[in-house]
Amino acid sequence: MLRNIRRQFGVAWALAALGTMVGSAVADPPPERAKSSRAEPDPEAQKSGEELWSANCRLCHNIRPANAYSDAQWDVIMHHMRVRAFLTGQEQRAIADFLKSSN
Amino acid sequence: MRGIRSCYLIIASLLLTLSQPATYGETQTDGYVSRKEYDELKQQMLALKKEVETLKKEKGQSTSPPAVASTAPAADFDKQPAAPIEEQKSSGLGTTKFLITGDGETTFEAQNHNTSTFTAAFNPVFLWEINPRLLFEAEVSFELSKDGTDVGLEYAQLSYLLNDYITLGAGEFLTPSNVWMERFHPSWINKLPDHPLAVHDGILPEKSVGAQIRGAFPIGPTKLNLALYVSNGPKLITDDPGAAGMLRFENSVDNNDNKAVGGRIGFMPFSEFEVGYGFEVAKPGDQGTPFANVHSVLQSVDVNFTHDSDLLRGVIDLHAQYAWTRVGHAVYDPDGSLGFGPLSFSNKRDGGYAQIAYRPTKVDFELARKFEFVFRWDHLNQAPQAPGALDEERWTVGVDYWLGPSTALKAAYEWDQPHGQPNTNALLLQAVTGF
Repeated sequence: MLRNIRRQFGVAWALAALGTMVGSAVADPPPERAKSSRAEPDPEAQKSGEELWSANCRLCHNIRPANAYSDAQWDVIMHHMRVRAFLTGQEQRAIADFLKSSN
Repeated sequence: MRGIRSCYLIIASLLLTLSQPATYGETQTDGYVSRKEYDELKQQMLALKKEVETLKKEKGQSTSPPAVASTAPAADFDKQPAAPIEEQKSSGLGTTKFLITGDGETTFEAQNHNTSTFTAAFNPVFLWEINPRLLFEAEVSFELSKDGTDVGLEYAQLSYLLNDYITLGAGEFLTPSNVWMERFHPSWINKLPDHPLAVHDGILPEKSVGAQIRGAFPIGPTKLNLALYVSNGPKLITDDPGAAGMLRFENSVDNNDNKAVGGRIGFMPFSEFEVGYGFEVAKPGDQGTPFANVHSVLQSVDVNFTHDSDLLRGVIDLHAQYAWTRVGHAVYDPDGSLGFGPLSFSNKRDGGYAQIAYRPTKVDFELARKFEFVFRWDHLNQAPQAPGALDEERWTVGVDYWLGPSTALKAAYEWDQPHGQPNTNALLLQAVTGF
């Protein structure tokens, strides 16, 4: 019984946390969402490398600064991350270009 | 025209230069040049003029007719370095397309009813971009154990970018159906010193040997990502009295001709939020045994959300994953010869975790921006009939101090209550760096 209560509490906590997160996202919409509301044929293609870098990388880990690696190293890393993190070719190129231009 | 002007300027400068000593000399005398000095200067000027004419002719010969030729080599010059670079890329020579990354960690664990201990691990990742479409990636793990150092191959995969959306891969890879392993398990990404139950060393596969196809597909402002793989799959444990009915996922050399099929579909309604569903089906029993037709079905759902919020003055991060697994009905040790049978059951297990983290990156106090606060609940529920299986539930609070984007000091306290056993609460400390 105690275990069931604990588990239910855990699930309830998770749902509450998710609600809070989504609520904060709605209250504070990210720039990607604001841009995506515009009537554009391919909003993904319109996102800048910086936006894509910030949103995609942070979903899994802290963002590493552009000067953490050389341009050649970023090429390899972005290839690796394209495979691992389900990036499209356009996203890979945009992020790599942004990182290299900031390097 | 500019060349002629330059020549005249050079001549004028030379004349002025040459005339200065004479003038200086005349200044020293009476201010005039003698006829002899005048003739000498005139000769010098004529000689210079002749020399300039000769130079102009030589220059004209080298530039005018081959004017086209001079641009042609320039154009070739631009192209020439490109060819070797492309060759270098395609052959994989050189060092610019090879990178060693990875992470290292040291952990201290003090757990109730166990001796406290330090451990260390080093996990280099080798990335080799053979050409812009082909990547080889491999990770080797070195971990301290009671017997010394354990060395393992975490993954070794060759992947090929078919087009902008689809990638093919083959080798040993982190299992896509278990998102924790594929994305969040490296110690510099994991925000707590240990790993959640069920999804790590638990009821889902961590790495698989086989082939996969995966891709990402933008759909308007949203994105769909898919991975589908075929692999050796797990092996059913049948003769271990403490683990009969469980699956062993380290099945590097397959135990039967059946191949597991699995995958994951993820949907991102916006770029900081993703929900996913993963699955794997297989026949894990040894070929030619009564267990050959036993089926296993593994399923998992996950939610991932990260947001840099002005409202909350920091980054909020939420990850949750829950898995259900089922191994079909089987009778283990049917004649009792192994000493624990006959044991008849269908092994159903479930478990997962939910984790929330907050880092106040937008507060004024600089020191506070380096701290991250983490809270996790994780749980594993075993089949009651399974031998040696204990349900377990943990609550963990932790705080990380980030020295850099991938270097942190972590501290956590974990309330751990295996069912029917004394608690194994633990203090965990860890220093970790990703490089």
